[in-house]
Amino acid sequence: MVSGSLLFQSLILGLLLGGLYALLAAGLTLYFGIMRVVMLAHSAFIILAAYIAWWFSTATGLDPMLSLLATVPAFFAIGYLMQRFLLSRLRPATMTMMSVLLTFAIALIIEGLLGMVFSGTQRRINLPYGASSIELLTARIPVVQVISFALAGVSLLALFAVLKYTRFGRALRATIQHPQAAQLVGIDTNRTAGFGFGLGLATAAVGGAALSLQATIYPSLHWHWIGPLMAIIVVGGLGSIPGAAIAALLLGVLRVMLELPLGPTWAQTIFYLALFATLMVRPQGFFGGRLAQRF
Amino acid sequence: MSTRKLTAITAATAGALLLASCGGDTGGGTGDATGGAEGGDDPIVIGISLPLTGDFAEPGKGVQRGYETWAKVINDGGGLLGRQVELKILDDASDAARVVADYESLIAQDEVDLVMGPFSTRLVVPASRVADEYGMLFVEPAAAAAEVFENGFENIFYAAPAIAPDHYNYLLDFIEAMPEDERPQTAAVAAMDDPFAQGTAYGLRDGLAELGVEIVVDEVYPPNATDMSAVAAQIADADPDVVIGGTQYQDAVNMILALQQLDYQPRMAAFSTAPTNPEFVEAIGGAVDGILSPTGYTVEATFPSNEEFVAANEELHGAEPGEDEANAYTAGQVVAAAVEAVGCAEQGDCQQDLIDWLHENEVDTVVGTLGWDEAGRPNGAHLIQQYVDGEIAIVLPADVAEAELIYPKPEW
Repeated sequence: MVSGSLLFQSLILGLLLGGLYALLAAGLTLYFGIMRVVMLAHSAFIILAAYIAWWFSTATGLDPMLSLLATVPAFFAIGYLMQRFLLSRLRPATMTMMSVLLTFAIALIIEGLLGMVFSGTQRRINLPYGASSIELLTARIPVVQVISFALAGVSLLALFAVLKYTRFGRALRATIQHPQAAQLVGIDTNRTAGFGFGLGLATAAVGGAALSLQATIYPSLHWHWIGPLMAIIVVGGLGSIPGAAIAALLLGVLRVMLELPLGPTWAQTIFYLALFATLMVRPQGFFGGRLAQRF
Repeated sequence: MSTRKLTAITAATAGALLLASCGGDTGGGTGDATGGAEGGDDPIVIGISLPLTGDFAEPGKGVQRGYETWAKVINDGGGLLGRQVELKILDDASDAARVVADYESLIAQDEVDLVMGPFSTRLVVPASRVADEYGMLFVEPAAAAAEVFENGFENIFYAAPAIAPDHYNYLLDFIEAMPEDERPQTAAVAAMDDPFAQGTAYGLRDGLAELGVEIVVDEVYPPNATDMSAVAAQIADADPDVVIGGTQYQDAVNMILALQQLDYQPRMAAFSTAPTNPEFVEAIGGAVDGILSPTGYTVEATFPSNEEFVAANEELHGAEPGEDEANAYTAGQVVAAAVEAVGCAEQGDCQQDLIDWLHENEVDTVVGTLGWDEAGRPNGAHLIQQYVDGEIAIVLPADVAEAELIYPKPEW
């Protein structure tokens, strides 16, 4: 019944979607890794970035990607300030629970402000290449999805390189692995955690711009994203960027492929089934996830 | 606690009925005696609950504008039965529990003379139950799903041309009239899991199936679906002649762009709701030509009262009315016709007289002449619109068409 070309097309679309998931989930896994913060406002910041991209593109007529020049540093700064002045004041013993409440409030505030400023009307960026696609064998690859996949790839590689090869990256990893030991060797763990949080939020800026290329956006859209993203980082192993990327690609492909036999409604339950299975079988996550054992 | 509340409500209702029947005599009497004298009596208070915040806030506010325009036109013209009309509008925050409480309090505590319906199937169904318990006439502007009229209530009337499954009737007539070898052969349906969106799409799907069109894709997606590319891939792979979207706004835009990206070109494309949205043309990059959509209203309609409605709406709200405004205005016109004909507007026996009158008569409105069956389903049909040269135009039925239907549709 299902043709080979449809399977191939779905596989391509699934991979592209997985790339976007990976980008959107990368920040979340960082926050968890750094200091056990459950950051419910991450997807709200993604939608905020998407709105800024839409607004920038509508106001200037320029490509929405250019808005990243402003949003990436701005979001980095916001992340840093949020960590230093809000999250770091929560007591470590109750950090996980209290951060849920705090970031839930922040998500509601962002959603409310978006609604106030831009109204509840759904917006979509009108791009000259919005409907274009590239032919690959029997499949079609939408140009906007190629761009967002490329953005995801570049951002994740950059993030990985920063964590792996820079002095700051080593300090951040040390902070994640053992804060006390890191302090003993002279790392300012508070400042490092702040930068780490900023880095996570900067990925939300890139993710928001990528999302705005291929979806209509509205203020409450972030609630639809936070569930799947949480599932991805748990499956991938909290704190692991490669883990999040692999889990995102895998779940993206599975979701799209499962739509063929099951339809869209059941296919989206794959995230929750994967979450459930992970917590039952391997609570620290299937990929990477060495750090998560502490949680 | 609950017993006390119940007693209080019962007492309040009894009181309301008593007061209403007294007031009815005076109201009716004055109306007859003074024959349209202005402001000589208490105003007729109409209770309405609307989703002014929450999920349905945008259309809810449209409905509010329509009701306000109607009240202004009525009051400027000397009122109903010579009495001014006063709207008492509550905000139910798109919450089905709040809408029930709102109508309970409007009817029992505030003792309003009449009630009119809220927006959306999800709110109209519980609201119509309350109205039925109190025996109130319930004209509603915005619940088209077939299920609304299957609760056995005789007090509900839908103030629009047709319920959802009948929205595409004119299009089906058009396709049936085509020469057999030119008719579409295959169709794909993708509908949101929502009674209204599915109602419209399945009306067309089932009609096409009866004409011998093969349904090659039939998908349902959840209301929160944001990524339409997988559904689009299935449609593109099947390459049907007709694509039917049982859509709201964002899913229609996402789906059309995903279909374009996969280079699928249907010969006919019909989407509910989205194409009439002012943002639609820009959202899909102007490639709208040939897209079809059913609509219950057009500002260009030549029905006698429409000109007055459009002018009043522009004066009061500074914009042309949309379908939401028109449906609310129509609800007002239906209620007004019944009240004027029966000669009363208060709780009690009068309500039954109003209900009976509407079951036996037709009313001229801005969406045409409406009559109803015993369950409150209107007897009309929706107009079919199509984008022609970037502008939306009525293409069916032929007698009110502004342009000719384009088939097959131009490439998008």
